[in-house]
Amino acid sequence: MIQPVSIDWGVIAPLTVLVSTGLLVLLADLASNAAPRKLLYGIGAVGSLAAFLASLPLAGQVQATFGGAYATDGFSWPFDALLLLTLAVTFLLSSLARAEDGGNPGAYASLLIFCTVGGMIMAGSTNLIGIFIGLEVLSLALYALAGTGFPRRSSAEAALKYVLLGSLASGFLIFGMALLYGAGGSIALSSLAQAASGGGPLFIVGFALFLVGIAFKLALAPFHIWTPDVYEGSPLAVTAFMAVAVKAAAFAVLARFAYVVFVHDAPALVPLWAIAVLSMIVGNVGAIRQTNLKRLMAFSGIAQAGYLVLALAGVGRNGLATLVFYLAAYAFMNLGAFAVVALIGDGDEHHADLAAYRGLFFRRPVPAALMMLFFLSLAGIPATAGFIGKVLLLGQAVSAGPWGVAMAVALVAGTIVSFYVYFKVIWQMFAPVDSDIIESNGNGLASWIAVGIGAAGVLLLGIVPQLLLSRL
Amino acid sequence: MMIDYVVFLPLVTALALLIIPRGATGALKGVALLGAVATFVLSLGLLALGRGQVLDQSLPWISGAWTAAYHVRVDGMSEFFVLLTTLVSVAAIWAAFSYAGLERLRGFLCLLLIFETTLLGLFTAGDLLLFYVYWDLMLIPVFLLLVGYADSEKARRAAWTYLIYNGGGGLVLLLGLIGVITHTGTFEVLGHSYAFGPIEGWLFAAFAVAFLIKTPSFPFHAWMPSTYTNSPAPLVAMVAGVQSKAGLYGFLVFALPLFPNAAHVWAPVLLVLAVISIVYGAFTALGQRDMKTLVAYSSLSHLGLVLLAFFAFDLTSIAASLVMIVSHGLISAAVFLLVGFIEERSGTRDLDAFGGLAARAPRLQAIMLVAAMALLGLPGLSGFSGEFLILIGSWQTQPVITAISLIAIVLASAYTLRLFQAAMHGPERIPGERPYGDLRPREILLVAPLLAAIVIFGVWPGWLTDRTPNSVTVPPARAASLGHRA
Repeated sequence: MIQPVSIDWGVIAPLTVLVSTGLLVLLADLASNAAPRKLLYGIGAVGSLAAFLASLPLAGQVQATFGGAYATDGFSWPFDALLLLTLAVTFLLSSLARAEDGGNPGAYASLLIFCTVGGMIMAGSTNLIGIFIGLEVLSLALYALAGTGFPRRSSAEAALKYVLLGSLASGFLIFGMALLYGAGGSIALSSLAQAASGGGPLFIVGFALFLVGIAFKLALAPFHIWTPDVYEGSPLAVTAFMAVAVKAAAFAVLARFAYVVFVHDAPALVPLWAIAVLSMIVGNVGAIRQTNLKRLMAFSGIAQAGYLVLALAGVGRNGLATLVFYLAAYAFMNLGAFAVVALIGDGDEHHADLAAYRGLFFRRPVPAALMMLFFLSLAGIPATAGFIGKVLLLGQAVSAGPWGVAMAVALVAGTIVSFYVYFKVIWQMFAPVDSDIIESNGNGLASWIAVGIGAAGVLLLGIVPQLLLSRL
Repeated sequence: MMIDYVVFLPLVTALALLIIPRGATGALKGVALLGAVATFVLSLGLLALGRGQVLDQSLPWISGAWTAAYHVRVDGMSEFFVLLTTLVSVAAIWAAFSYAGLERLRGFLCLLLIFETTLLGLFTAGDLLLFYVYWDLMLIPVFLLLVGYADSEKARRAAWTYLIYNGGGGLVLLLGLIGVITHTGTFEVLGHSYAFGPIEGWLFAAFAVAFLIKTPSFPFHAWMPSTYTNSPAPLVAMVAGVQSKAGLYGFLVFALPLFPNAAHVWAPVLLVLAVISIVYGAFTALGQRDMKTLVAYSSLSHLGLVLLAFFAFDLTSIAASLVMIVSHGLISAAVFLLVGFIEERSGTRDLDAFGGLAARAPRLQAIMLVAAMALLGLPGLSGFSGEFLILIGSWQTQPVITAISLIAIVLASAYTLRLFQAAMHGPERIPGERPYGDLRPREILLVAPLLAAIVIFGVWPGWLTDRTPNSVTVPPARAASLGHRA
């Protein structure tokens, strides 16, 4: 007999608001033959802010609905809030990008929204099927978004690479989930805990395949090969969104999995620590030779994802708070940096070239100083969010025993290498110019707002971190 | 509150410079100098603190898995670090007027003022995390000044060496800090003692590496010659005069009191590094043709003496270490600024390429003579007091090391006299027949306070002695027993 499922609308309020916004954008696009891009993006930005506000009352609550399949708790609401904030900033950035939405702003805006919906489903799902549905909603929308810069060949290339490798990863993931189901006898994560403590081969293989799928989404080495090309080819706003939103959603899943399935630190998690260390090495070393900012940010993202894994080391107390804090810091510094690129380039993709930044400080001091702020934060220099985040991560890791200490040392070593990477950008901006640089004079209000949000976040979290920490 | 005003006044001044309209150069210079002088005058108020007195205030900052506080403090010792910073900054900022084109003067002054705030913050931090915040932030203004304001490809390369060494040292220190909080749960460790167990040695080593890089000491000094040589004079005056004291301050306030046992275990290693720095620095200085590189290596030699004073664990030498620290700060700042004036007139720093400036610049020669005599340790000036007291003290516990260090005292006279003679005396030689004149009143006024302080502390070193924290001045007998136990 099928029981009627009771739905707690309060729990899914942010999702409802966001889905409605997506539909509204589609309708608005349908109603007028050529709805102005700014209107559609405006609806999207306002809708995502509304959903963000709707998510705030859920802070600190633990409730489930849909028969326990979808929950709001510490593993979902902070990630939802981050996703929604990222979406709003992405709309601000998109309004500058000329014709990077493939000439179809309605589809572009709704894809961004549904992509975020997928991420929120991932964060809220407490069973394997929900996670997979969310992941596919997010991925399918992103594959299309990567290609919206279509007339540029690199954008088409990015979309194709992303689809092919992404589908492969999804295959791993669903196969892993099937094995996990076999091991646990249920799709609910909570029922896997017993299988995990038993550690049978079915569970081990299933978890390994699951991990491969998630690691692909997080761009953790050695599953990162797609990252630089996809980041470089995608339109700037999509790259910014991809860098932040996908990581937030996938880390929500990973955190929930780690804390629900592995009650204590487990040997099964050791491969995850190894992947994290490898990512720090690959990301930081790979970034050294990059001369394109989008590629540089791709490698930097690989390394930063490696750092983020440290929050889960030992699956200890405060681990989730640490993860959310660093993820928030990461969101602000990345979005801020991409916003400066958008501001300087005025929507022109050539301005992702590092050479265009030579001597920028002496021509446009304010954007250059803010760009420096974001890169200092990425490098983990004090008075920025990135620094407090790193101290939290290191503290978390060191308290987790020898594996944690090894990861902490790797983080520090990676950071030294990353100094060269991040300061290379700062060096360019402060080194006087020898040649003439043709400069577009971007000054869009939307990107100024996006830069402002990033700067405010980086400084506030860096100087008064308690603002966020006390709420986690 | 008083401490906050002193620390943040330079930063506020820097922000004020940003809103001065373009072209108002006079206002720009005036505000910058006013801010620096006001900071100095404010900091004079701290002199009221006598030996053993402390002014401190603590506000909660971060709490979670660990806690940290916004804890600022000044005591009878650190007041002199603060005063050294504010005094040298006035000279550096005033001297900066003639560096960097007018176009870039605003940025130059802003960065120097921000640098001053980070240094002051460091010397007043009572919380380890806060200390680290300033420790790392210091890198940024120096890096930017080298990249954007020194106008030479060499300086832009030196910026990398500076960043990687000091940033790397900072990260090692960060690891040490994390190790500390896993035991204490808080960054506010000052005034407490903890049992760190077997990892104490590692923690001390992490702190020591960072501090030795910043000082610098052999074998971590590779960043120093290029940074000192290629920095504009106002910057190098602050880096050599003040920033080099950050590591020594860290030893006195954090590393030695927190890890007393490990300090004694590591002491032989540090003593050897100190004596190598002292002798190697002096010998290398002797062979330099570049004036700035010569002074840079002399700095390596002199700061090695301070390390000797710390790790000889003799009451007299530790009590006198502050004399040497303050004296070296004043002397190296003055000498680097004067060398900058000379370079401006001769067009080169190569001692073999010019000479005989004395004939047309008698005032420059007279002032340079005082600074050079202080550098070589003439009695009556502060350099002598510091060196003499340290050597007397460390002779008691480390006679061999001290005897070897004496070589450097002899060599100091040789390289300093060479610097002075080659530049000032001999036949008049100026490359390209540059028109040059004597020191301008501004230039005399800005080095005068430094020279005055050198004379004051030379005559009355007692003002500075016995101000190091009690926990550092472990009696030798107890030190020996601690060494055996660990």
